[in-house]
Amino acid sequence: VSGGGPDLFLVGLSHRTAPIAVRERVALSGEHLRAALRGLRAQPGVQEVMVISTCNRVEIYLVADSAREAHRFFSERAPQAAQHLYQEQGSGAARHLFQVAASLDSMVLGEPQILGQVKEAYDAASAVSTVGGQISRLCHRAFATAKRVRNETAIAVGAGNVSQVAVELVRKIFGGLEGRTILLIGAGKMGELSAKALAGLGARRVLVTNRSLERAQALAARVGGEAQPFSGLHQLLEDADVALVSTAADGFVITPALAEQAMLARKRRTLCFIDLAVPRNVDPECGGLENVFAYDIDDLQKLVQATRQARVGEAVRAEAIIEAELMAFGRERQTRAALPILATLRRHAEEMAKAEAERTLAQIGSQLDERGRRSVEAMAHAIVNKLLHAPTARLKDAASAEDSALPSAAAELFGLEPEEDEGRDPAEVLSLAERKKR
Amino acid sequence: VSVILLRVTALLYAASAGFYLWNLVRGARPGARAATAGAWLLLVAFLIHAVAIGWGCKEFGGTEFLTLNGGLVMLAWLSAGAYLVLDRIHHIPSVGAFVTPLILAVLVPTLRGPGAGMETVPAIIRSRWLSVHVSSAFLGIALFAIAFGVALMYLLMEREVKGKRFGALFSRLPSLDQLDRLNQSLVRWGFLIFSVALVTGAFFAREAWGQFWEWDPKQTFSLMTWALYGALVQLRHSAGWHGRRVAVLTMVGFALVLGSFVGFGVMPTGRHGGDWQ
Repeated sequence: VSGGGPDLFLVGLSHRTAPIAVRERVALSGEHLRAALRGLRAQPGVQEVMVISTCNRVEIYLVADSAREAHRFFSERAPQAAQHLYQEQGSGAARHLFQVAASLDSMVLGEPQILGQVKEAYDAASAVSTVGGQISRLCHRAFATAKRVRNETAIAVGAGNVSQVAVELVRKIFGGLEGRTILLIGAGKMGELSAKALAGLGARRVLVTNRSLERAQALAARVGGEAQPFSGLHQLLEDADVALVSTAADGFVITPALAEQAMLARKRRTLCFIDLAVPRNVDPECGGLENVFAYDIDDLQKLVQATRQARVGEAVRAEAIIEAELMAFGRERQTRAALPILATLRRHAEEMAKAEAERTLAQIGSQLDERGRRSVEAMAHAIVNKLLHAPTARLKDAASAEDSALPSAAAELFGLEPEEDEGRDPAEVLSLAERKKR
Repeated sequence: VSVILLRVTALLYAASAGFYLWNLVRGARPGARAATAGAWLLLVAFLIHAVAIGWGCKEFGGTEFLTLNGGLVMLAWLSAGAYLVLDRIHHIPSVGAFVTPLILAVLVPTLRGPGAGMETVPAIIRSRWLSVHVSSAFLGIALFAIAFGVALMYLLMEREVKGKRFGALFSRLPSLDQLDRLNQSLVRWGFLIFSVALVTGAFFAREAWGQFWEWDPKQTFSLMTWALYGALVQLRHSAGWHGRRVAVLTMVGFALVLGSFVGFGVMPTGRHGGDWQ
């Protein structure tokens, strides 16, 4: 964009640059956020402002003459923040927002919450009217880009931690868990977390068992299941489809013999063991039985790694989408930048034509009939249109080819100042110009 | 002309397979553009294929599919149709990546042009029973072919899930349960339609040869195939058979079908081959 005017700036800090101790000093929410937005907007030279504040980042997006006010905001809240700040301008700032919204800059790549948080930040800024056309368009483009990234890449697919991975595994075996039964053996923390996560897949029953029935009951209350005596383990294994095992036992609680017995009783319906205990509670031999799937904590860790790596590959594709969207956004901005010149040029010429026609009519109008007078007016407009036809087309071409030299040359040549036309949609201005032409 | 149309069709199938495979590589999301493109190309190929078959029948002055060549053309066409229906019902585009190459593989040997024409087929075998027999047999086999593809997917997926490999297929193929249920409905329908083929075949045999059953090699093989798929349907129902062993047997069953279909087509040994007397 041609220099001189206000530009888009980003100043911020995130989990990548600043420790939590600094991030929590500068984080904002609710009324403090709105006050800060109003305060920044009130500074001279600041036209638009939006603040994204989450536990992982605080970022200020400004349309302003400089980023000075944003830096001051940070150093006023925490003097040590200055050394953790990063700054971007123009398309660099836009790119960063696209990346943030698409969850490419998140601590857990592909996590879904961040898009909602960016939307909240935009809504908060809209609510106190500190954003205008530029940041609005930028944000909507960022939202659309994030959706594209989510739909066209597998970045949000897969899981980040062990209980999510357990859910993923179970889904690859059973699809959903509708009508099925989860069995939780033992009172380990991991088992409890995973049982809660799995219950979200629509299981019909959650059975809980433990050597101590009391603890089983307490656990059952926490995960929303039914406590069962440990002595009935055979029967429980016959009913369950997924067995989460996390006991404090030193050896194998589930032996191949026990598993085979259960499989016979259940007509070899698929059974999945997820062993979350260290040392292991499920003999890995069990996994060799037909329609038995057995995983231990190492397998789950391996899957966590695998999905993280897959996400890194997806991130490369996501970046390509972002670059494409950024280019499209840039082109739109260029078109927008050329349009004020075009509109000014047209209006200038139209006014001239009108004035000249009026002058002519004032002198000889009395000798003409109504048709003659209209012909004079029409001729003046026709000359304007003919004369401006080629320049109009060239300016539009230059705008979409991202050539900013021609619009400024046109302004120079015709002695025009571009009008501030921020509130208006470019398509609207274009069609206006088009209509005037006819 | 029909051969040229078939070549065009084969190209379209190849393009469709390409899109389905591309979709699989990209992550196999339902509703993705590559999958949609694959499905549309398949539909267009199916329609042109139908025209090619009609044209072929006209050129031969009769039902062309009584030759091995024509049979393969018919089989590919019905498989494409069956998959299109399946895709409407289940929307699992990753299955397309396995089925469309299979269709192409069936069609490719026919592209050099027809071998023996209708002259070799005597009038005795043209009967109403025959058309029902042949078309239901082909449709049944087409369903078994798709079931074969789905069973292959099951085994590949099970290898990843059970073997803790978590590779590319793990994130891209549907769940084991979904594949197993798909296999179930395909085998069930295939068995039903194949039964129709067997019964009508027997009636036709009485008309043409004078008796319902005479243990010619192809009949014997077909009966074995029918019994195998019947056992699969029954054992799933009564003994809860599912998963790996059903997938393996589904593939074995299709190998039998292919063996009798192509084997006896190439080396005629009984009345189903070139020896019609």
